[in-house]
Amino acid sequence: MRWFISIRYLLTHLRQSLVCVAGVTISVMMFITMDSMMQGFTDKFIIETVESSGHITIYDEPRETQTKILERAYADPDALLAIEGVKPREQVKKIKNPTGLMATLRCLPHVVSVAPVVTGDAVITYGTKTFAVQILGCDPDKQTVVTTIGKNVTDGAFERLKKTADGIVIGRGIASTIGAHIDDSISLSSPTGGRTIARVVGIFDTGVTPIDYSRAYMMVNSSQTLLDKKNVINQVVIRLDDYTIAREVAAQIEGICGYKCYSWQEANENFLKIFKVQTVITYFITGALLLVAAFGVLNILIMAVLERVNDIAILKSFGLSRNDITQVYVMQGLVIGLIGSLVGLGIGKLAVEGLRRLPIKVEGLVKAEGLLMSEHWTQYVKAFVAAIAVVLLAAVYPARRAAKYDPVEVIRGAH
Amino acid sequence: MELIEVTRDERREVREEPRVSSLTSHLSPLLRAQNVHRLLGSGDVSNHVLKGVDISIDRGEYVSIVGQSGSGKSTLLYLLGGLDRPSRKDATGTEFAPSSRVFIDGEDTTQLSDTDLAILRNEKVGFVFQFHYLLKEFTAQENVCLPMFKLGRLSRSDAMERGSMLLKQLGLGDKLKRRANRLSGGEQQRVAIARALANEPAVLLADEPTGNLDKKNSDRVADILTELAAGGQTIVIVTHDLSLAARAARQIRMEDGLIVHDSGRICETPSLR
Repeated sequence: MRWFISIRYLLTHLRQSLVCVAGVTISVMMFITMDSMMQGFTDKFIIETVESSGHITIYDEPRETQTKILERAYADPDALLAIEGVKPREQVKKIKNPTGLMATLRCLPHVVSVAPVVTGDAVITYGTKTFAVQILGCDPDKQTVVTTIGKNVTDGAFERLKKTADGIVIGRGIASTIGAHIDDSISLSSPTGGRTIARVVGIFDTGVTPIDYSRAYMMVNSSQTLLDKKNVINQVVIRLDDYTIAREVAAQIEGICGYKCYSWQEANENFLKIFKVQTVITYFITGALLLVAAFGVLNILIMAVLERVNDIAILKSFGLSRNDITQVYVMQGLVIGLIGSLVGLGIGKLAVEGLRRLPIKVEGLVKAEGLLMSEHWTQYVKAFVAAIAVVLLAAVYPARRAAKYDPVEVIRGAH
Repeated sequence: MELIEVTRDERREVREEPRVSSLTSHLSPLLRAQNVHRLLGSGDVSNHVLKGVDISIDRGEYVSIVGQSGSGKSTLLYLLGGLDRPSRKDATGTEFAPSSRVFIDGEDTTQLSDTDLAILRNEKVGFVFQFHYLLKEFTAQENVCLPMFKLGRLSRSDAMERGSMLLKQLGLGDKLKRRANRLSGGEQQRVAIARALANEPAVLLADEPTGNLDKKNSDRVADILTELAAGGQTIVIVTHDLSLAARAARQIRMEDGLIVHDSGRICETPSLR
């Protein structure tokens, strides 16, 4: 009976009811499309970064900076300690016994493969153009297993590093900035004075701008010569069977080897924070839309209460309780919310599919052909639950107000 | 007349079961007001509308209440129907003694929760008001059926069937599917009476049922009430219409919140109390 009354009331003001439904529909649709767009870019960035850089990287520094020797001798925190002319000790930073360490790591659970890397900074000179890059000296066979960089090479091939003396694989961004093409020779110099001429044997494109504009891969031994790091391995890259547990495994490995051990989450914390902010903004905007829709519902229901004060009195006179009246009005909100959000889910799904097909070139933090839409059923559930909850909340005030009318006062007022 | 007789027979069948189980409520009066006071508003502006009314109405009685505007007759009617509750304390906060109570079919309305009182109204009371008060978005038949849907004793189709039967008895057989706001005043009032009768109430309470109708329609409503009373329906009406009031077997006159004349009882005038 309550449904019967609610639906009849909604049908009476069909046009206003439809406007309310449309409000809910639009906010649900916007939530789904915006969230899947944002999520699409986030996923692309995370997956490309994670897959092309490795899940965990061990660096050649101990996690904690050593306490200075004077502080160790004078433990009093208030003591004034000063030494003049201190210089950092000259020492070659490297991972000791990398082969042994890697053998140990391979035995750990979740670890799929490991690869040694030597890194350092260098400047590429090509004609009149110069560009600072990060050199990663690697073993191509291992590197292509630990990361997906081999698959990201669009011109040439990563394997050619093995066959070419002083071959180099550079990012798409570097190549386009300096104007180098495949098989061009470029000159490299390092801050320690090493110089070499390298031949571009591959150009990779991960789609993640910071990577494409900074990385250059070479063989381990040529990098060691260029960077003046003879026999040095200063990073070990690890691939896991599940990248989401990288943080936990990184902590465990750090405990074993004593070197700084970064999971991809830690390495990209700044970006992940930006994505979080972005998600909050998305929620904020769609939340505001939903709020507007909720005000629409509030409005139509308040109107429905005010113009039906007599109805409420009569309904109460023949036996509807306060709860019944409340429910009659809450149900009206529920119907608007249900229809609005279900239609919104449908249109949202269509919009996601439509936007995915739009040929828009995107270049920013990530590069892609077309909008990256990542949808997940949880988005649909979130949108549905949020819409229903907000609309119900909006219906509560008018419903309670309706329930409060004293039939006797209403009938007297009409006399 | 005949048609209404049929309803009375049906009523007996439906009602038999609960009646047997509660013998005491059967013996007690259907409606009983005990020292009923009602204050409207609060504080300085409070208005003492009913000043200690005692009244008993038995099953099958046809009672009319007359009195000037403001004499408290409508207020008394709402209290007898459980639409309102008596005041427990006077303006100074002193409790009335004996306490102000209304019993409907043996149930003390002051002890019932809001929901229980609503259920009691749904089952046992049928209200008719001066301004018809139909739900204008519903058809005549739906208006009659709503109290039955709420009670839930009949299936939806049975309720619709009974709704159409009641409307036919009141001469509205051809207006079943007409929306309430497209009926004339007299028709609306007859639909309202049909709705009040929907759940076979123990008592029909009518507040100025003819107050807003022309002579012809007033007479028609008055005839319907007389027929119902003849069929055994307990009816209490509040009216200004003396010819309508005269049709009732028991006539009560109210003045200034008190009963000053009751043809069914030996009357105590307020000055003698």
